Amino acid sequence: MLLERILVLLYFTACIGIGIAASRRVRGSGDEYWVAGRRIGTWVNAMAIMASLASGGSIIGVMGLAYSQGIPATLALFAGAVVGFPLASLLVARELRNFGRYTITDFLGYRYPSRIVRTLVPILIVIAFTIYIVAQLKAAGITAETLLGIPFEQSLTIATLVFVIYVSFGGMVAVTWTDVFQGLLMLVVVLGTGLWFLWEVGTPLELMRRATAVAPELGRVEHRPVSSYLGYFAIWATAIPVIPHIVMRVFTARDGHGARLSLNLAMLAYSALILAAVFLIVPVGKLEFPDLADADQVFLKVMQSKFPALIRGVAVAAVLAAVMSTTDALLLACSSAISHDLLGNILREKASQRTIDLVRVGTAWVIGLLALYWAYSPPELISQFYTAGVGLLSGSLFVPVIAGLWWKKANRIGGVLALVVGALTYVLVHFQILPLGIAPILASLAVSALAMAAGGLLGPPESREMIEAIEKLHAK
Amino acid sequence: MLKSFFPMDRVEALVLAFLVAFSVVSFLPVWRGAEIAGMAVFGWLMAALMVLSPALALLVFNRKEKR
Repeated sequence: MLLERILVLLYFTACIGIGIAASRRVRGSGDEYWVAGRRIGTWVNAMAIMASLASGGSIIGVMGLAYSQGIPATLALFAGAVVGFPLASLLVARELRNFGRYTITDFLGYRYPSRIVRTLVPILIVIAFTIYIVAQLKAAGITAETLLGIPFEQSLTIATLVFVIYVSFGGMVAVTWTDVFQGLLMLVVVLGTGLWFLWEVGTPLELMRRATAVAPELGRVEHRPVSSYLGYFAIWATAIPVIPHIVMRVFTARDGHGARLSLNLAMLAYSALILAAVFLIVPVGKLEFPDLADADQVFLKVMQSKFPALIRGVAVAAVLAAVMSTTDALLLACSSAISHDLLGNILREKASQRTIDLVRVGTAWVIGLLALYWAYSPPELISQFYTAGVGLLSGSLFVPVIAGLWWKKANRIGGVLALVVGALTYVLVHFQILPLGIAPILASLAVSALAMAAGGLLGPPESREMIEAIEKLHAK
Repeated sequence: MLKSFFPMDRVEALVLAFLVAFSVVSFLPVWRGAEIAGMAVFGWLMAALMVLSPALALLVFNRKEKR
C-alpha cells in the first residue's frame, strides 16, 4: 500500500500548497475570500461547480445506492440535481449575479428585511451543511480504511485537517483552484474505469443485461413507495437553485451569462460521471460481489479486485477529491453563514480587519472539528443521510427565493412565513411527528407556497422601490 | 394574473415548461413495469433527462448570446 499512500500524500500536499498560495491573495478582502473577486471564467467555474456537487455521495454513495436500491431509484435522486441546474440557470443565476453580494442570506435578508430571516437562514444552513459534511467525512474514512489500510478515525482526522487548512486560509480562491484539480481527477478515474469495463464487455446494454439477469432488482422500481422517488427528485431539483455552496459559485462568475453557462456545462460533466458510475461500474460490482453487507463499499471492492496499485492510489485520491471538493465548499458556506451572515454587521462596525480575518479562519476550524467529532460515529447510507439535510434547506428556502425574484406580490410577511413554515413542516413530516404519508419535501414545499401566497395576497403590498430594485436584477 | 409576475423570456419559459413536463411524464406509473435491457423505462427516462436538461439549456443560452 506504500505507492497508494505516497500518491495520496502528494495530493494532500498539493491541496495545502494551493491553500497557502491563495491565502496571500484573499487576506484582508471579503470579495476575494468569499467570491474569489467575482472573476472566475466559465470553464473554470463549470469544473469547480461540478466538483462541488460531485461529493463522496456521487462516487461512493451513488454506487452504494444503485447497488442496494436499484439504478432507477438512484437516477431519480441524481437526475433531480441535474434538472436543478437548468432551473437555477433559468430562475436565479442571472438575477443573483446581478444582485452582486456574497450569500443567499444577503438576498433573502434584503428582499424580506427581518431579524428572523437574517438569523434563521444561516442557522438552517449550518445545521444542514454540518450533516452534509459528516456524510462526506464518512466517505473519506471508509475509502482510506479500505484502500490504504489506515484506521477509520485516523483517515477522517487527516482528511479534515487538510481541507480545513486550505479553506480557512485560502477562502473561495483556494476552493476554486482545488476544486478544478479535484474535478478533473474524479472525471478521469470514474470515466476511465467505466470505459475500461465497456471495452471489456462491448456495450452498456450488454453489461446491464448480464447484471440484471443475475440481479434483476438492479433495474427494477420496487424498493420504495412512489412518493419517495418523487421526494428524492424534488429535494435536489429545488435545492440546487437555492443551496448556498452552489449559489456562492454564481456570485463568483464574471457575469450572469457566464454563471448560466457554467452551471449547465458543469451538469453535462456531472451527468457523464453519474451515468458512467451506475451503468458501467455498478453492474460489474453486482456481478463480482453480489452480497456486500455495506453497499457503500462496492466501488472500492471493484477497484481493489480489478486494478493494480498505481490505479488504486489514483482512485483513492479521486474519492478523497470528491469528498474534499464538496466539503470545502460546504465549509466555506457554513463559515460565511456564521462570520458573514450572523456576525457580519457586528464585525464590520466594531472589529479590525485582522479580527475579521481571524473570525473567518476560526469559524471554519470550529465547524470542521465539530463535524469531525460527529463523524467518528457515522450514519449508514450516506446519500440518504445528507439528502435529508439538503431537503431541510430546499423545503425552507426554495419558495422565498423564487417568489422573491419572480412574484411582484411577494412581501416581507409572506417571505418570513414561507421560510419558517417550510422548515417546520419538513422537520415534522421527516421525523413522523406529523405523519402525512407523503415525502417531507413535497409537504414542506406545498405548505411554504401556501404561506407565501397567504402573506402576499392578504398582507400589505410590497413597496414600489423594492419592485423596481428586483426588476433591475432581471435586466440582461 | 400574469401581471403579478416579472416577465420571462418566451424561449426560456418554454424550456422550463418542457423540463417540468418531461419530469412529470417520467414519474407516471406506466413506466415502472415496462423494461428495456433489464431496467425499468422509468430509469432510462431519468437518464435521458440528465443529458437532455443541461444540453437544452446550453443550446438556448448560446443561441440567445449569439443573437
